[in-house]
Order: sequence, then C-alpha cells, then structure tokens
Amino acid sequence: MAFNILIVDDSPAMRRVVRRVVDISGVDVGTFLEAGNGLEALVVLRAEWVDLIMTDINMPAMDGEELLLEVRKDPALTTIPVLVVSTDSSEGRAKQMLSLGADGYISKPFLPATLSHEMYRLLGGAPNESF
Amino acid sequence: MRASDFAGLVPECCSEVLGAMYFVTVLGWTALEKMPEALPGGDAVVAFGLQFAGDISGRFGVCLGQLTARSLAANFLGVDEPEISSREVAEVVGELANMLCGSAMSRVEGERKLILSHPEAVPLPADIEDIHIVQFDTDSGAITAWLVLEGNS
Repeated sequence: MAFNILIVDDSPAMRRVVRRVVDISGVDVGTFLEAGNGLEALVVLRAEWVDLIMTDINMPAMDGEELLLEVRKDPALTTIPVLVVSTDSSEGRAKQMLSLGADGYISKPFLPATLSHEMYRLLGGAPNESF
Repeated sequence: MRASDFAGLVPECCSEVLGAMYFVTVLGWTALEKMPEALPGGDAVVAFGLQFAGDISGRFGVCLGQLTARSLAANFLGVDEPEISSREVAEVVGELANMLCGSAMSRVEGERKLILSHPEAVPLPADIEDIHIVQFDTDSGAITAWLVLEGNS
C-alpha cells in the first residue's frame, strides 16, 4: 500500500531533507505533498487524501499547534496521524503537543533512523534496519 | 538565566546539530569579543539570523564563508556541490540558524512557549555591547554564531 505523506515546514530545505529520509527509509510513498505553513496544509488536506502529516511547530500564518487543533476538530481529518518535527526539544513542549492530539514528536536535529521508526510506527510495517 | 549561561549552551548544540544534520565535525571553538572582520581568502560571507522569544528573548545568528556554506548545503541536502543554487545555500544556512537557536533555547527550563521568527539574511552585528560570539572550527571551515539577549533580567 502506498502512503500519501504531507510535510509541513516553512523551510524548503528541511522539507527536502525530510522527504529524502522518507525515500531512504523504504516507506512506500504514493505522493509527497508539501506545505509551508498550517493554512497551506489545510488547503492540501481538504483536497487530497493524506495518510500521515509531518509538521513543524514554528511557522508563519498558522503554526503547527494550530494546525494540529484544526485537524483534530475536523471529522474528515481527525483520524490522520500527526508527527511533530520541531526544533523545540523541551519535554514540556512535546508533552503539550501529544496532549493536544499529536501521535508522535521528534526534535531537530534528528537521526534518520528516528524519523523512519516513527513513520513506521504510525503507518504500520517494519522499519528499514539499514539506517 | 544569565546571558552567559545561555551562550554556554551554544557550543554543545552546535556540535549536535552540525554532526546530525550536516555531517560536519566540530574540531574546537573559541569565544570572540567581536565579529571577525574578514574571512580567509576574501571569501564572501553568508549571514542569517532570527529573533526568538520565550523565557528569554533576543536575536541569534550565524555567519560563515560562501565555500563553507556550500559544503554544508551539499551535505544537508544530500547532493553534489555544483548542483547547489544560491537560494538553496541561503535556505540551508537559515535552517542552521533556526536549529541551533531552537536547540539551545529548548535546553533552558521554562514555562513559556518557544517562538522563533523565520530566519532571514541579516547584516553582521556591529557595535553591540552585550553580544556573545562563538567561532567554531569544523572540518568544513569556520562557522561563527552570535547571540544578543534583549529585555531579560
């Protein structure tokens, strides 16, 4: 089964790195979708089927926390797993995002294996152990 | 939290960020009293900075030579240097500033949310009294990080 993955980050470079890690991880990706902030992400989510959202927190226009809240209160989107990928590595921030409905939290800098394992945990399947 | 405490977190964060995401090894670091005036060989400077707010607030930035920046960009994006555009170099250096600042800020215990502005190209800071500057020697060249705290007790 091929998964559609939405990467939400205001840094095009970081979106590209995340996409590369997903490619290397061996996850069967149908379509990579990208958004530069939460507002753009919602437009994508209401037009495309998405199996996993990977989102940064600090972004202009609509941040990752607001995006998470919008996704969780929308019946059409609420079951989509959300993996937060943020520069904020504080335990408090991770706990807060998880309590708001995030399914996972990874802080930058991250190891490719960490991102891969979290994706497989949320999508199902076995991670590529070659990392 | 004193400015020097926060500034003391930067070297550790820099090693972690550069090692994990840019595949660069930090060989050593030196605290400077002012920004370096020129780079070896007259290499052009790439400088990005951002504002941060949380339990402490201020400005943070990095500057490095164009050659070092291109090397970091190639490592970060996983492509060969000749394929890297100036825009991509800028994005990668901006992301370096973002990750370094976020990593250091996150280690400061506090209750307030960390807010980072979008990194932008900035002039090198000059004539600022309470500025903390650290220069890192890496296997890809020198990287200078600077920090100015604002409105903190």
